Amino acid sequence: MKSLNEFESFFEKEMMPDLRLLDKRRKVIVRRSMMVVLFSVLALLLLVVVYMNFGKADGQDSNILWFIIAGVLIVVGGIIAGSVWARDKTFYTDFKTQVVERIVTFISPDLTYEPKNHIGSDSFQRSRIFLKNVDRYNGDDMVQGKIDKTQVWFSEVKAEYKNTTTDSKGRTKTTWHTIFKGMFFIADFNKHFQTSTVVLPNRLGKGFLASFFNKMNLARREKHVRLEDPDFNKHFVVYGEDQIEARYVLSTSLMQRITEFKEKHPNPLYISFVNSFLYVAIAYNKNLFEPSYFKKLTRFSLVKEFFEEIQLAVSIVEELNLNNRIWTKQ
Amino acid sequence: MEGSVVLLIVLGVFALFVILGYNRLVGLRNTVDKAFASIDAMAKKRYDLIPNLVATVSKYMEHERGTLTDITEMRAKAVSGNLSDNEKVDLDNKISRAMGGIMVAVENYPDLKANQNFLQLQGSLNEIEEQLSAARRAYNSAVTDYNNACQMFPSNVFAMMFNFKTRRLFEITEVERQNVDVKSLFG
Repeated sequence: MKSLNEFESFFEKEMMPDLRLLDKRRKVIVRRSMMVVLFSVLALLLLVVVYMNFGKADGQDSNILWFIIAGVLIVVGGIIAGSVWARDKTFYTDFKTQVVERIVTFISPDLTYEPKNHIGSDSFQRSRIFLKNVDRYNGDDMVQGKIDKTQVWFSEVKAEYKNTTTDSKGRTKTTWHTIFKGMFFIADFNKHFQTSTVVLPNRLGKGFLASFFNKMNLARREKHVRLEDPDFNKHFVVYGEDQIEARYVLSTSLMQRITEFKEKHPNPLYISFVNSFLYVAIAYNKNLFEPSYFKKLTRFSLVKEFFEEIQLAVSIVEELNLNNRIWTKQ
Repeated sequence: MEGSVVLLIVLGVFALFVILGYNRLVGLRNTVDKAFASIDAMAKKRYDLIPNLVATVSKYMEHERGTLTDITEMRAKAVSGNLSDNEKVDLDNKISRAMGGIMVAVENYPDLKANQNFLQLQGSLNEIEEQLSAARRAYNSAVTDYNNACQMFPSNVFAMMFNFKTRRLFEITEVERQNVDVKSLFG
């Protein structure tokens, strides 16, 4: 595991030159975008003047002049907008290959990064974490590779479902709702098992009513599994197809490790174990690995954030001790 | 006339209550029995591995011959059947302890530690140990549910009426805690 200090010196030495160049491009894009906005506003103002003067006898000549100037402004603005777009098109991809990819390979040379690829929706649904039918699914920033003995895959994903309503006048309205947005992580688990076990955030807390409603989850084929670790139960509620296999997978030490992981990272955490694979979904409100145009790229805090987000996914392997292959599965 | 209808309804509701309460207790007790049976099944799986383990290990281990014969004898006794539940648990604990001892002794035999056959056996044993512990935890959880029903109102009334007795939890023995250490030694 690479430390933040190691990363900082890597950032200073290896990444700075590229980041400076990217930052120059960012500044040009921002400056030109501002000009486009300015020109459009001016052209609009002129057109308003032309409109107000229209029909007045003494204003005809100046009207034509204003009209021409407005036209020129629009054309020039359009050209600048086109050039911004041409630069912008490659800006994000260049940023990702020059910055994010290098962070990934810095963390481990065994990992590969594909900015436009993502975890497939079939894997997402196989995890059995979210049972809602997915109508729209996309993502990016796929990382895959081996961490010591454990094969991992992770990417940013966003899954949504559609809600179509028809009002009394027969008009249909479609709204989209997010099922999950954030980091989706898959790893080859270190034990063999056949059934599915799902660990979900305990939204209801403790108490009689909470445990009653947690117990009755009618939507799932998995049954409630009552585990003995009170700290773990405070954060999570578990459903499994097989009571014994659920406990085989969630050993007392793994429950402790998951609790510790959760206490370090406050984002909503969903975990499932299906067919000898581990699935982890960590919800985020923002887009991952995408810089803002209005902030300097050469700040350490920006890349530090990306580094920590990737490191968080990679750390799952160590924190949950997946490289501990003392069972028959190698 | 009216009074007898009311009485009939009250009796009917009461009978329904008794039936539901009784069935729930039976269901819980069956879950407990099933959980105990799966502990037994896992223990058998472990017994099946013992001859293999002894055969692989005995070539290397000279000083532990005594322990190995002990294990073989205990296994023979365990698979012969006709043991009460308590005796089964006792014997199982003894076997666990003896096997833990062998696994620690392996440290002294570098050749054995490199033996592919042995490593595979060790993997299987670790797996069964973990499954056994999972089965015991499942059993404890089932017993807790059952005991709660036997002791909490109103189901305790039916438990008394139909003679449902509380069961004992599996205590995590000293041996088992030790086993966890052994595992981490070889991790």
